[in-house]
Amino acid sequence: MTDKNMLLAVFSDLDPAAHAVEKLRELGLGDEHLNVISGIPITEAMMGRPHQWTNVPRLALGGALGGFLLGAYLAFVTPTTYPLNVGGQPVIPGPPSVVVLFELTMLGMLISTFVGVFLDSRFPSYTPKEYVPEISDGRIAILIECDPAQEVAIESAMTALGAESVKHAEAQTL
Amino acid sequence: MAVLANSATHAHTSEQDHEAHLREEHLMLDPRPRGEMNAMVMESMQTTSWKFWVAAGIMAILVAVCLFYYWGYMIANGLGVAGVNRPIYWGIFLVNTVFWIGISHAGTFVSALLRVFKAEFRRPFTRAAELMTTFGLVQAGLSIFMHMGRVWLSYWLAPYPNQRGLWPNFHSPLAWDFLAINTYLLSSTMYLFLPLIPDLAMARDRSTGWRKTLYRILALGFRGTEGEWTHLRFAMNLFAFAILPVMFSVHTIVSWDFAAAMRPGWSSTIFGPYFVIGALQSGLSAVAMVLIVVRATMKNMKYFIRPEHLDGLGKLMLIISMSWAYFFFNDYMVQWYNGDKWTDALLHFHEEGPLGWMWYAMLIFNVAVPWLTLWNKNWRRNPTLLFTVGLLVNIAMWFERYIIVPTSLSINRFPFTYQFYKPGVEIPLTIGTISFFILLYMLASRLIPLVPVWEVQEGQMAHSLRKFGKETVVTVSDLE
Repeated sequence: MTDKNMLLAVFSDLDPAAHAVEKLRELGLGDEHLNVISGIPITEAMMGRPHQWTNVPRLALGGALGGFLLGAYLAFVTPTTYPLNVGGQPVIPGPPSVVVLFELTMLGMLISTFVGVFLDSRFPSYTPKEYVPEISDGRIAILIECDPAQEVAIESAMTALGAESVKHAEAQTL
Repeated sequence: MAVLANSATHAHTSEQDHEAHLREEHLMLDPRPRGEMNAMVMESMQTTSWKFWVAAGIMAILVAVCLFYYWGYMIANGLGVAGVNRPIYWGIFLVNTVFWIGISHAGTFVSALLRVFKAEFRRPFTRAAELMTTFGLVQAGLSIFMHMGRVWLSYWLAPYPNQRGLWPNFHSPLAWDFLAINTYLLSSTMYLFLPLIPDLAMARDRSTGWRKTLYRILALGFRGTEGEWTHLRFAMNLFAFAILPVMFSVHTIVSWDFAAAMRPGWSSTIFGPYFVIGALQSGLSAVAMVLIVVRATMKNMKYFIRPEHLDGLGKLMLIISMSWAYFFFNDYMVQWYNGDKWTDALLHFHEEGPLGWMWYAMLIFNVAVPWLTLWNKNWRRNPTLLFTVGLLVNIAMWFERYIIVPTSLSINRFPFTYQFYKPGVEIPLTIGTISFFILLYMLASRLIPLVPVWEVQEGQMAHSLRKFGKETVVTVSDLE
């Protein structure tokens, strides 16, 4: 059981939210205790946050390799099971194999990229989560994990920086 | 002094007018609060008049009769009820396949290429275009299944291990078609879904009842955390770059169905790019037509889709029309010049045969009409005129495929087999696919936010007005 509390500070604009992140760091909260939630993609640099890690590029590469190997199997192995003479071409022809390899490599890469987003984001997830619908109306929220003793200081700092609301984050069914 | 003061006041007023004009002109400079834009998009989805349901009902009846009944009739009676027969084994079904794949190209072109090049005017209509890709490919797929005749054996096309050790023949462009079309259909559907997730979450947050349940399931639990956006942003960028070569490959491979055959009129090395340009020609025109209909019939869409967007699409249509004319002439010139008597006979048959009017209509609608109208800014921004040009271009592109497929098959190197193509059940089935496309689009427009609100807001954040000397100009910041 964690004895940490979760606070949700909601800002109407980007600049005060970025200042709030800086202030929270000054109050002794590490980046791992903060999460920024927004209705549009805000880059880490804008908020002064560390770079977010994503496995999607590696998964895409893996998918491309898998697709290439499947294409190679279809293009180079399956013709030997039932050799067909097509217009005097070799049983395993060069240029047509490029088509099969290209399509399956691309398919593998794109499917694994799509699946990668699901895996990295843990989609689908229908369990209750800390969220307020105002976020999709353009608000920027900072989810803060803090000691109960820090709550008052954080709340007053966030309010001073222009937070519309600072409250205990309650997990709710989305 | 008074003169100077008057002059300064006049300059100030004129500057304000200029700024007001820029804001009215460009969606990106006319921001509204995100909540208001969300409400506008939700209202556009949820507001349906009786006219909508009458139109949807007519489309549903056309789909039931022209698509399902006649297809069932053809399955029960065999391909003989269609007009395909010696020497024309490829008829309207394949005309429609090529046509619908062409329509599907524009969605990806508009969305991916303009995203890669950061063309800002794309933002409000990328989704409307992407939907066309998916629904266009559905019609292309249906047309291929119709052409097969024995649809219940269509799984033979799929490469899977089986008892007989038989695999599809990967020497054949038809097998490449199977791979390319499926790759494109899957990729474009995934590419449609990824940027839709944040908008589905938006819709989830402001819906009730069955819509809430639907959007909750489809939004997958998206909240907009930094991690979620990072994964999504990377995936969308990768898709935008990777789906373009897939798009080009699909129509090139479709062209090889023809070009790989040693037939007069078909065997051509330019067919790949010529088909790709043809696809963009019809697809972009279809995007313009759809946007004009959406803008005219859906609530609040006049805010999101403005004359500047029609103007941008009109310019693209003009450029693509010129490119199409270039590729057409290149193909025609080389065939005309080579002096082969069968090719010469075919070219004469195209121009002077019973369907010569179709050949001339193709050139007039594809070249003369866009060139004579779309050079003019005011005409490009006129919805009625742009819709008419788009419709004529699409008719012309359907004619082009008709000339390439059944008309070119009518005559060959065996004069005793010459035959004129008389379509049968293909005509209602064609009406059926068009109706099905319209019906799917109509239903989707009431279920899916057609405008990617988060992309519009992101664009509005990046745009501003800046003064260079005395001139106020639009500037865009690169937020990525």
